[in-house]
Amino acid sequence: MLTAFAKAFKTPDLRKKLLFTLAILVVYRLGCNIPAPGVDFRYVKECVSQASTSGGSLFGLVNLFSGGALLQLTIFALGIMPYITASIILQLLTVVIPRLEALKKEGQAGQTKITQYTRYLTLALGVLQATGLAATARSGNLFSQCSVGSQVVSSQSYMTIVTMVVTMTAGTAIIMWLGELITDRGIGNGMSILMFTSIAAGFPGQIWQIKQQKGWLPFTLVIVLGLCLVGLVVFVEQAQRRIPVQYAKRMIGRRAYGGTSTYIPLKVNQAGVIPVIFASSLLYIPALVVQFSGSTASWANWVEQNLTKGDHPIYMVIYFLLIVFFAFFYVGISFNPEEVADNMKKYGGFIPGYRAGRQTAEYLQYVLTRITWPGSLYLGLIALVPLVALVAFNANQNFPFGGTTILILVGVGLETVKQIDSQLQQRSYEGFLR
Amino acid sequence: MGFSIALIVLSLLLMLTVLLHKGKGGGLSDMFGGGMQSSVGGSSVAERNLDRITVILGLLWLACIVTLSLILKFG
Repeated sequence: MLTAFAKAFKTPDLRKKLLFTLAILVVYRLGCNIPAPGVDFRYVKECVSQASTSGGSLFGLVNLFSGGALLQLTIFALGIMPYITASIILQLLTVVIPRLEALKKEGQAGQTKITQYTRYLTLALGVLQATGLAATARSGNLFSQCSVGSQVVSSQSYMTIVTMVVTMTAGTAIIMWLGELITDRGIGNGMSILMFTSIAAGFPGQIWQIKQQKGWLPFTLVIVLGLCLVGLVVFVEQAQRRIPVQYAKRMIGRRAYGGTSTYIPLKVNQAGVIPVIFASSLLYIPALVVQFSGSTASWANWVEQNLTKGDHPIYMVIYFLLIVFFAFFYVGISFNPEEVADNMKKYGGFIPGYRAGRQTAEYLQYVLTRITWPGSLYLGLIALVPLVALVAFNANQNFPFGGTTILILVGVGLETVKQIDSQLQQRSYEGFLR
Repeated sequence: MGFSIALIVLSLLLMLTVLLHKGKGGGLSDMFGGGMQSSVGGSSVAERNLDRITVILGLLWLACIVTLSLILKFG
């Protein structure tokens, strides 16, 4: 393992990529700590420390994704949340709008166009969210329990607010660019690595908070439990069903092609963490609407009572069901059995015991549906872990070993290590994973 | 006031230059556990110049933010 690390740094182009990625991450973390102009940093600090002890807020999840930058009102306050939301929206729209579906089928060129749309939408959403954030901060609603909450923004003039909004939106643009730079010239997928860092950045502090509030025993217990959970997640993430595929031997000119037997790997959790992110972003909307509208109608009260607290039974049930639904939904739109079967037929491949074409597609669909059941249930249960812990430990919502957190950390970590590994294998055959 | 306007203009320019870049990485699907594809081919001259402009604009933007914050605090 350690020799692999040394080897990774000895390989010149890999070292360059790793250092580049690290440099970008440094820039990102730096930006996460520079307060936006017009924000009084002393008051913000005071209020953030109050908010973190008095329990989770509505912005918990978004704040988690931005690495705590959101509540501190820094120039990178919005983090990559606008990009994620934009991707989700476009992903959903491809099912609905025929033009987008056609673009998706076009392949590389169409995909580039969709990416471009995502980037425009990201900035639009950035403006929207920045305005919302600046408005709530100005009126003092961002830290409603804090005594100096209304003094967070130093001047009430519109010029200050506009400057803040525009700066934060530009921050979003820069984050997007940084992510693309990592994807392009560094290691791994830039956006997910940025998310990884912002989550990992808050991690040590949160664990330490448990020690300070509860003492040593719960602290060790949480760490041991967390490690078990990480092991479990790695195990399931790596689990896959291998469907054997036999390719017919073909002669083209004087060379023989094919004649090999390979397999199609179907992962148990094909959808990754996306269902969790979808579900939690969706569940966060009603609470947000109520917060902004400030209405006291009966439905608003109901939402406030049942959907804002993570440990409420109704919230848990809805969350779980949404995750299971989105797991199936996402697998449905990301893996198309008919297309796979068609491609196999074109290159003379078949699954032993099944006819090429329709029967193969049906078989693939059958296996996929069956394998997604345990996958989706696992996702739902893992995501519920922090909520259960919330009740058991009486901890606050920023519980460090939250399901979403662990899923993202492990998923992104595995993916990145795999990519480094494949780069290493171009030079020599021994890597991190055996 | 002057710095505020400068900051707004710089921010808008920054957004524009970022949007002018060719988008790399296709959204959510390869964000978490998607296929592994290596981007083939280097960047063109225009792209590299755009990179340079973006970096310079970013540094100016940062300097502007810092000075504005200082002015608001002590001015």
